[in-house]
Amino acid sequence: MYDRPTLSELLDAVRAHLEENIVPLLKDDRKLYYQTLVAVNVLRIAGRELTMNALHLQDEWARLNFLQNSALSIPADDDEARAALAERSRRLCEDIAAGSYDQHPRKAALFEHLLATAVEQLQVANPRFLQILALEDSERERRR
Amino acid sequence: MRTLTDFRQRIIEYLEAVTGGAVEIKSLQPLAGGASRDTWLIHMRAQEVDERLVLRRDLPTSIMDSALERDQEFAVMSAAYAGGVRVPQPRWFCSEPRILGEPFLIYNYIEGVSIGAEVVSLPELAEARRRLPEQMGEQLARIHRMNPALFDFLPRPRPGYSPAQEAVLQTRAVLIRLGIHNPVLAFGLRWIERHLPEGGEVVFLHGDFRVGNFIVSEEGLSGIVDWEFSRLGDPCEELAWPCLRDWRYGSGHLRLGGIGQREPFIRAYERASGRRINRKVVDFWEILGNLRWAVTALAQANRHLALGETSVELASLGRRSAEMQLEMLRLIAEQEV
Repeated sequence: MYDRPTLSELLDAVRAHLEENIVPLLKDDRKLYYQTLVAVNVLRIAGRELTMNALHLQDEWARLNFLQNSALSIPADDDEARAALAERSRRLCEDIAAGSYDQHPRKAALFEHLLATAVEQLQVANPRFLQILALEDSERERRR
Repeated sequence: MRTLTDFRQRIIEYLEAVTGGAVEIKSLQPLAGGASRDTWLIHMRAQEVDERLVLRRDLPTSIMDSALERDQEFAVMSAAYAGGVRVPQPRWFCSEPRILGEPFLIYNYIEGVSIGAEVVSLPELAEARRRLPEQMGEQLARIHRMNPALFDFLPRPRPGYSPAQEAVLQTRAVLIRLGIHNPVLAFGLRWIERHLPEGGEVVFLHGDFRVGNFIVSEEGLSGIVDWEFSRLGDPCEELAWPCLRDWRYGSGHLRLGGIGQREPFIRAYERASGRRINRKVVDFWEILGNLRWAVTALAQANRHLALGETSVELASLGRRSAEMQLEMLRLIAEQEV
């Protein structure tokens, strides 16, 4: 067991330091200013990944089981689980390229899986992007 | 280049050599540019005339696949300028590495806003945004009229392949080179292969025609910059590219670059070019554009991960790829309904 701060708290401390103490000093150097804002955002991504990673791993595994009609159990160790998931994704890519998912209903089932995968990536990488899309969709619905 | 003073002094010496007189640099500022180029605004005084110039040079480690060399970019810009395209007037090109370490080109500065987020939002550009779709259509028609035979160096589809088939080959090659097995991208590639448009014309393309590469003043489109990705391809590809969500800078409901709708742009293009454009083919290229940009973002991250260019900006692009992946899926879903 490690003492606090936790990994998330450490990342957030660095993020706050950059944002509050460093970024304001860089207003005159556009390049460095921009790159440091990017760095701040990268730390936010890392923080979100820490909290969501385990859940997304389980979800993606379960979706692949559903898609491929299998009941494989996910390795208990996180690194092994990630490696096993990468291997399943690699084989899924081969099946897609070979045309195994060209026809309905497999195509629709695959599409649902891919959509969920992209959304999960963005919950970590850019949740605002998802919010903006949702807003746009509801706006478009309203105008219909 | 050891110091900024040194850099400044070398630019003065170069400008004195090409203008044949004394040159004073009143200011020298870096401009926001892409990840691969170093861009400077030079305010110079020579022969009692003030001039503002833009200098673009390669960064030593940032040679992108398929990007043009500076002399080629200079040749393309010069031809565009001669063809009546709204492009900053190119002035000088220098390949001598002793001057600034890397080749560079200099063109006239055009007053205006180029940062995408500002183009889509500044209140004083509201009228400009109203005019932009038509102006973009007219300018693009002029660009597509440029004679491809003048530029034997431009990338083009290999013989026997359509531009879309070429794009598929290139995209697959990048995924293999990077060792990426992403089912979303595999599905996108499969969808594209199964929906390839018939034939299609091959014309000169700007290669990165979109908000963000336009200098916009209150009158609208005043300059088209960043010609380093010029190549030959399908005209519909370049009608779709400025519509990609990533070039809407947060104004996602305005499909054309966050400034307007697609239809007035395509209609202006049809009037000016005499071509009849199949909207379905433009839709296809918007999907392919998102696929390519998703893959390019991963390739950019790989420059940081594997090619020794340490950069948090490049690294972060790897995680932006999912934005284009989701957009691609949504656009495919619209086609399937």
